Order: sequence, then structure tokens, then C-alpha cells
Amino acid sequence: MAAHYTESAAKVVEPPSKIKRKAPGSGQVKRSVRRLESKAKVDGSAEYIYNLSLPGMLYGKIARSSIPHGKILSIDATAALAIEGVHAVITGEDIRRLIPDPYYGPAFHDQPILALDKVRYAGEPVAVVLAADPHVAEEAADLIAVEYDPLEPVFDEVAASKAGAPIIHDRLRPAATFPDLKYLQGRSGTNVALSGRVRRGDLEKGFRESDHIFEHTFRNGKVIHAPLEPFVTLAEMNGPDGLTIHTASQSPSFVRSEVSRLLGWPENRVRVRTAFLGGGFGGKLYIKLEALVAACALLVRKPVRIALTMEEQFYTITKHGATVRLKTGAKKDGRIVAREVETWWNGGAYADIGPRVAQKSGLTSAGPYDIENIAIDSHAIYTNEPPAGALRGFGVSQVVWAYESQADIIARALKIDPLEFRRRNILREGRPHATGMLMTDVDIDAILDRLAERMEWDRPLDHGSGTIRRGRGIAIGIKACVAPTTSVAMVNIYGDGSCGICCSTVDMGQGSDTAMAQIAGELLGVSAEAIRVIHPDTDVTPYDMATLGSRSTYHMGNAVRHAAEDARAQLLRIAATALQTDIDELECRDGAVLTRSGARMSRQITPFWMLGGAGAEIEVDTETGRIRVTKLVNVGDAGSAINPDIVERQLIGAGTMQFGFTIFEEMIINEGQVVNASFADYKIPGMLDLPDDLTGELVEVPHRHGPFGAKGIGETGMFCVSPAIGNALYDAIEVRVMEMPLTPERVLRALRQAQDRPLTSD
Amino acid sequence: MKSFDLVEPATLDEAIALLDSQDRSVRAIAGGTALMLMMKTRLFQPTRLVSLRQLDGDLRGIRVNEGGGLRIGAMTSLAELEYSPLLAGTYPVMSQALRTLSNIRIRNVATLGGHLAHGDPHMDLPPILLTLGGRISAVSRRGRRWIPISDFFVGYYQTSLAKDELITAVDVPGQSPGVYCWYEKFTARSADDWPTVGVAVWYSVDSNVITEARIAVSAATERPMRIAVAEALLINAPATRQVFSKAADAAADEVQPIADLHGSASYKREMVRVHVRRALEHALNSRSNGAG
Ligand SMILES: Cc1cc2nc3c(=O)[nH]c(=O)nc-3n(C[C@H](O)[C@H](O)[C@H](O)COP(=O)(O)OP(=O)(O)OC[C@H]3O[C@@H](n4cnc5c(N)ncnc54)[C@H](O)[C@@H]3O)c2cc1C
Repeated sequence: MAAHYTESAAKVVEPPSKIKRKAPGSGQVKRSVRRLESKAKVDGSAEYIYNLSLPGMLYGKIARSSIPHGKILSIDATAALAIEGVHAVITGEDIRRLIPDPYYGPAFHDQPILALDKVRYAGEPVAVVLAADPHVAEEAADLIAVEYDPLEPVFDEVAASKAGAPIIHDRLRPAATFPDLKYLQGRSGTNVALSGRVRRGDLEKGFRESDHIFEHTFRNGKVIHAPLEPFVTLAEMNGPDGLTIHTASQSPSFVRSEVSRLLGWPENRVRVRTAFLGGGFGGKLYIKLEALVAACALLVRKPVRIALTMEEQFYTITKHGATVRLKTGAKKDGRIVAREVETWWNGGAYADIGPRVAQKSGLTSAGPYDIENIAIDSHAIYTNEPPAGALRGFGVSQVVWAYESQADIIARALKIDPLEFRRRNILREGRPHATGMLMTDVDIDAILDRLAERMEWDRPLDHGSGTIRRGRGIAIGIKACVAPTTSVAMVNIYGDGSCGICCSTVDMGQGSDTAMAQIAGELLGVSAEAIRVIHPDTDVTPYDMATLGSRSTYHMGNAVRHAAEDARAQLLRIAATALQTDIDELECRDGAVLTRSGARMSRQITPFWMLGGAGAEIEVDTETGRIRVTKLVNVGDAGSAINPDIVERQLIGAGTMQFGFTIFEEMIINEGQVVNASFADYKIPGMLDLPDDLTGELVEVPHRHGPFGAKGIGETGMFCVSPAIGNALYDAIEVRVMEMPLTPERVLRALRQAQDRPLTSD
Repeated sequence: MKSFDLVEPATLDEAIALLDSQDRSVRAIAGGTALMLMMKTRLFQPTRLVSLRQLDGDLRGIRVNEGGGLRIGAMTSLAELEYSPLLAGTYPVMSQALRTLSNIRIRNVATLGGHLAHGDPHMDLPPILLTLGGRISAVSRRGRRWIPISDFFVGYYQTSLAKDELITAVDVPGQSPGVYCWYEKFTARSADDWPTVGVAVWYSVDSNVITEARIAVSAATERPMRIAVAEALLINAPATRQVFSKAADAAADEVQPIADLHGSASYKREMVRVHVRRALEHALNSRSNGAG
């Protein structure tokens, strides 16, 4: 088959920017194709790992730490083992016998598969009970007695970064996979996992030249991903020396390499497969349960399944809480000339991808503004709370909350219309970003225009009277997509001419199967609906970095495009040859035509800029503080949309998610204990809560390297919702709330404070 | 979760026989929506659950009683109540409250009996029933007794029901035509959340003077309760905004709010003030009254 891999396969594919690629134009892209999997999802036949059971498998139930920080003195499993039906109890020490250095993680190798020596957050996995009956496992897990010697904990991210704070990890252990983190190796006596820095111009000079200086601190609470399908992993032996892992993961390729590394096996002995995901939002990235379940299966030599409950999600991964200090110098005319940003990210007990979140979102934390003098510091901090990782937007919404709230403060202080204020400051095509990278294929003016139009910005707003006051606000935001990363795809044309795409992009509800089918269909002249997308299986589908950061449409979309172009070229060649009856070629035609292609990036911080804007109209009840969002417009730059309907729904979906984070979602953590760790007490918005007028709006600025001009948009709708609502709140009642979420009580307290009749505290 | 017995008796007598007056780990289960939450958090670990699902007769359905009111079987689901034209015609205030009482998935299985027996102060129907009046039929091996609704809620998750008693039905009296009723639900999080504060009001007006008044508060307090001092301020007073405000202030002063995930005590006190006043106003404005 190798003969059929074409030359272009291994090469960098950097398409010429000027020449318009001529597509066959079969009408598959820019068409709102219905999701390929819609029917299967409705009739229940769609495959989810959560529904999988394997013959002879054991169920694992995790016993978790009850304290936020402490040394483990002993683990007594006697009572658990005495329960009839318990097959085994596994502790960190058992894992250590199988895996001498059982610490994992994408950025730092700091997380033990099961707690070793000490625990670092309440809810940390300490032991696993295995039994053929899940209820038996659960009952026994409650009986595992752990004795601790409590250590002083630290929860606040700013406090944890200070000298003298209790130290959570003895020394830093950056993963070798990220060469740029190597310098941190062995650092000790700190909870700062990493500090990202950006410097541009001369900050002090900028402040000296400013007419006004604004300094504020903004806070974001912790929230969670809340996918409908909780974390689930199954592992089984595959022959005498192989392992198959079935897992609801956004990054099967990473799982394979990380599990292989831990076991000291070559990657080809580990097979990782996924199915549809019932939501991911960044929570199911990298490695979560996989190493634990794999280790259990190898220790007992039986298939093992661990499926978390909805409640256990709260102890697995969260979005980062963050404190953002922002100091901005502006001229009288509103031009921003200097900005200093310092962010502390509450990463919880284990780094997960937190240091990358800090670094990446730090890069754009001065906003989509053209500022000469910038200093950015972004600190990833360990605390004794559940670990934080990626959540749809990778830290961007936390910093946008800060800089767009402050943009509103500055505009109002200088008596400039908030929209006009932004126009005076935005980054335009060809201008350098804080990092020095030039802005390309962006049009923030178009986003502002669309916002102005959809919000009817020129029309005066009736601010209401009595106890219901109205206000409106806008915000814009920017994100750099992930750094240069790899996606590989294969397009198979089967003997009968039907077509299959093998790629490791995980369809977790975002509609990637459909988009990939449209791209291949466009080039092969086949309707998207007739194409089959084969789900990730590391034995079958080629490598992909992961399904994250709105990267798949661009990266995998390009890989699929190249593969399909290749297949098409081969088909044409074969057909031509066939006419001359070349015997060798005819032999080969009985098999599938395989082609492989890779997409690689240049050395830029981002292959494309993600830009969005949001506008909100709200009503505030001045007696209760309750906010009702009456209108929410989310504008996103999708490049040229492959499937306009899916893109619009992505914006609406993300907007809804961030809307919940803005108005009431919050993990309440008291002394390290999550006190609302269930969906009875952690509420997400329902239909009745949604804004009456909720829209996603596409701005299409074709991207020169995107597949058919497309960019990713999965996260864009998250960026700007919070400050748009916060700014509308100010417009309505002239009260600024600096901390998210904007709960009724928080709003009422701020209002009553401003009215000089504060509500007493309890 | 420890294993336990689930029994599904076919008759009320069998069900009663399976309950135990001493053993706290033996309980009835109706819709299970409240019980399962407690079991998940290990607040409750049963040895035996006596399911009421197979029971019918008096325990099911909505009928007109002697007084022109309704008798509602304990096993009637909240969704059946929500969609009942009989309920809508007799106590529109209840039908309305049911629409945002949790979500349809819960209402489809949760029952009126479970709703009352649970004794959770964060419930929507208890304050309404406290204003409409009525009585609860409780049956045990000792026979049947009627508990006035006003005597039913005695403390935080505590009712006057004995451990071996079952609720079979609730009797609510007919309401006289001129009565003004309203239920004001305030949630701090999603619209279908448990209330942060719930306020039910019921009053009658004769030549613009209030003759009778009932105000009940829930969720802010340790149990759903009538607020007598506020009621007293309404009687013989005109139905005006000032009078309503005074009553609301009195209610806010009177209650002893409990802080929880929905809000601090001082915030809840403030919400009692706002929502008692609003409930009184809305009752008057909407002309929606208890008798339909
Ligand atoms: C997610 C969620 C949201 C909710 N939101 C709201 C809300 O917004 N507003 C609101 O008012 N409520 C709300 N609830 C509570 C809901 O109303 C109650 O859980 C429900 O009414 C209980 O009824 P059940 O039949 O399920 O009771 P079960 O869970 O079966 O039983 C509850 C208790 O009552 C006892 N019991 C049941 N039936 C009888 C009987 N006939 N006689 C004696 N004892 C009995 C049981 O032993 C148990 O102790 C919510 C519940 C959930 C789970």
C-alpha cells in the first residue's frame, strides 16, 4: 500500500498564499449540511464509550481524599476486602510496583496515578476497589480507611504565589515533551509552576506619557465543563503484551504516547479508541482516567471499567479561577499607550495543561488593541483545590472579562462611546501584536460593525424606571489558536467508489465529522452525506495532536483536504493509465487507494487569529439584583464557514455556556471542599434562563491557509459574553462588579454599597 | 452504596406492615427524587425501601371533596397536578407554581406525598398549602389520623409524621370566590432551581379593607411557616402599597433566615421583604384568586 502514499505526504504543505486554489466546486462546502450523525443520535444507535461493557470486566470505584493537604500515614483496606465480591483494592504503592515513576501530565509529570505519600486536594484519588458488581465496589470504597497527617493548605492563587505559602510540590517536574519548559526542571520551594512574560516597548515611558492611568483587579470563580457524558475509560489486555484502551477522550493520540511512556512500552503495543463524545469542552483532553484504568487492568489481568458519576466530575478537572490585575495608561483622546497585565491562575493541585493555559492566554491578555508599551506576566499557580485545565477558550474568557470590563471603565471615564473607544484602539491588518507577530486575515472593524448593527447601537436605549432597569454592553476579544501542531488524515476510496475518512479528530458534538466529510466531498465530487468518517482508533486512524483549541477545522480540515486532493489526483492518474491497459496498475486497483498527508505550520505563535465580539441587553431587578439577559449577540470570525449552520450553533452554544458561567455558575469551595459538587446544587442554565433573543453571527474573513478559507470557531463564542453583560449591568445601574459570576446577591450588594445603604454581612 | 431490600407491596395494609417505627433505615419511596439525592450523598443509607408505586385507590388521583375543595392522592405526580384542569380551576395558584417547580423530568416522577413528607424547607407547594389550609391523611397500623397542614411542618427536614405513617391523601378546602392568592418564587440561580425564597399569600378584601390574611414563607427559613405579625398588620387595613410594605417589613424583621448555597441570611431577609410585598401586590393586580 505504501506505494500509493504520494510524495506530498511527508512534506510541509504551505499553500501559496496568493494563488486561489481551484476546487472542483461540487457544492459541498459553504453548505449547511445536516449533521451526519443526527439520526443515530436521535434513535440511540450512536456509539458512546459510556455504553460499552466488556466480557468479564471489573468495575472500579475510586476512594478519594477527604482532606485538602496532608501526608498519607496508612491506607487500611481490610474492611473493604472483607466485602463479598471485592476482587482487589489498588493503591498508589501497587501502581508503583508496575510503573516505577507513576506521575503523569501533559505539561508537568506531577500527578500520581493514585496518591503517593501525600494528598494535595480533597477529592484526590487514593485507592481503587475492583469488583464485578459496581455497587459492591462502591460500598467497599467507602470502607477504605486512610490515616493522614494534615498539612497546612493554601487555596487562594495570589496567596499561594507568595513566599512563605505552604509548598504543594517539593520540586517542579516539567514534561520532556515541551522543550521550552525544561528550564523549570528541579525548581523547588515554589507554587509557581510557570510564569509567562511578554514585553513590548517601554512600559514606564508609556505610563509617563499617559494622561490617565487606570488600575483594577478582576476575579473569575471556578466552574466546570459539565459534559452530559461523564469521564469513562475501559482497558483490556490485547494479546500477551498489548493493551487496548476505550476512552471518552479528546486526545487519543496523546493517551497512547503517555500510557506507553509510563509503562515503558513502544507506542505500537497500546491501542486507544474513542467513539462519539457526549461533550468535552476541554475537560477530556490529555489524560484523565486512562493511566489509572490501564494500570488496574494490567495488575489484575482483566478488563477494567471506571466510569465517574456526575458528582465526581467536580474532583477531576475545572476551569481556572483567576485574578487579573490590569493597569492601563491612556491619552485624553482615548488612545491606550501602555498596559500592564498580571494574572494569577488557580491551577489546583496538579498542573494538567494549566501552565500552557497561563502562557497562551497570557500572550493575548492585553486584548485586541494596538498598544506600544506592554508588559504581561501570567503565573500558573498550584493550590490545594481540584486541578484546573483547558476549558473552551483556554483562559481567554478570564482575561477578556478583565480587559473588556476595564475598556468600558476607561471609555466612560473619558466620555467616549464604548464602541468608538474600541475603534480608536483595535489592531488592524498588518499591525504587530504584542508578541511582534503581524496581524493577518483579521477585520475587527467588521466585527464592531456587525455588533453596532445587531445591537442597534445608534438607537438610544430606554433605561427603564422603577425597579427594572435596562442596560446594554459590548465586548471584543482575541485568541491565538494553538501553536503549530500536526494533524494527519487518510482518505480511502473503496473498490466501489465509496469513500471513508480516517482521522483522529473526535466528534464531541461540534460537528467535525460533517465538516470533514464536506471538505473531502467537495474535492471528490461526492456528497458529504455519503462519506463515512471513521472514529479515532490509534491502530487505524493516523496521528492527531488533539481535538482542542478550535484547531480541527483548520488543521485536520487541511489534512483532509490534502489527502482528498491526493486521492483525487491518483484516481485520475489511475483512470488515465487504465485506458492504456497497464497491467501493474490494474492489479493495484483491487485494493483501496490510500493517501496520506500532513499539515505543518510555520514558526508563528498562531496559524490564525480568533476574533469575536458580543453584545448584551439586560434587565436588572434593583430590589433583588437579578439579571435577565434579554438579548445576546455573539459575533465570530469563522474565516469562510464550511458549514454556516454549524458555525452559528457553535457560537450560540458557546455563548450559552459562558452565559451560565457569567450569571450564576460557580463551584463553591470551602476550605478546599467543593460544597456544591452535584448538579442539584451546581446549576447550569435551562431553557427558561436563556435570553429571548440569542444569536450567533458570522463575520467571514477568508483565511489564506484555511481549508477553503475556513478558521476554527469552537471557542470564539465564549470570549466576550461576560464583559458584555458586566458592561450592560453598569449601563443599567452604574454599578461595576469585578468578580464573576454576577449572582443576584453580588449585584445587590454592590448596588446597595453604591447607594450607601449596604446589606449587612452574616 | 450498600445493598438494601426494595419491596413493592400491592396494598396499603402491606405497605404499612413493612414500615418500622424504630428503624430509621426503613423508609417509603414514592418518586424517589428526594430520597435518591440523599442516598447519593450517603446522608441516608437504607436497609429497606418500601415502594408505594403499586398502590392505588385513595392514593391516586384528584377528586372534588365535600367542601367543594379537592382531595389529592399522595401518589399523584406533580406533572399530573400541573396538567389537571380540576386543579387549575380550583387552585390556579398551585398550577402556576408547578410550572417552575424543578423541571419536567422531576415533576413526571415526584409525588405530592413525597413532596410533603420530605420536609425540605426549599419547596414550592408547602407555603401555598399553608395559606389554602387543609389537612393531611396519615395512615399507620394504628389507623388513620388527619393532621392539619398548619401542624405538619415542625422543623428543618422535620414533619409531624411518625416513621411508620404514610400519607395517603391531602384534603384542601374550597376557597370562597373573592379571595386573592399568589405565590412568588425567587431563585438566585436557574429559573427551575429550588427557591431562595418562596412567599405565598392569601387574603380577602371587603370594601377595600382586608378582612382575612395569610402569609407563608419558605426556603429562607428552617421550615415553611406563617408569619402572624405580618398578617395582623393587614387585617382591617386597606389593600394599598404602603400597607403591603409595612407587612413586608414586619415579615423581614420576624424571620430567622438560614444561610445556604442560595444566599446569605441577610440577603434572604431582604428577599423576604421584597417578595412578601410583591406577592401581596401581584395577588391584587392579577385577580388570580384561590377559587379560580
Ligand atoms: C433536581 C431537583 C430539583 C428540584 N427543584 C425543586 C423546586 O424547584 N421546587 C420544589 O418545590 N421542589 C424541588 N425539588 C424537590 C422535589 O419536589 C421533591 O424531590 C419531590 O417532590 C419529592 O417527591 P418524591 O415522590 O420523589 O419523594 P421521594 O424521594 O420518594 O420521598 C421523599 C421522602 O418522603 C417520604 N415519602 C414519600 N412518599 C411518602 C408517603 N406517601 N407517605 C409518607 N412518606 C413518604 C420518603 O420516605 C422520603 O423520606 C427538586 C428535586 C430535584 C431532584
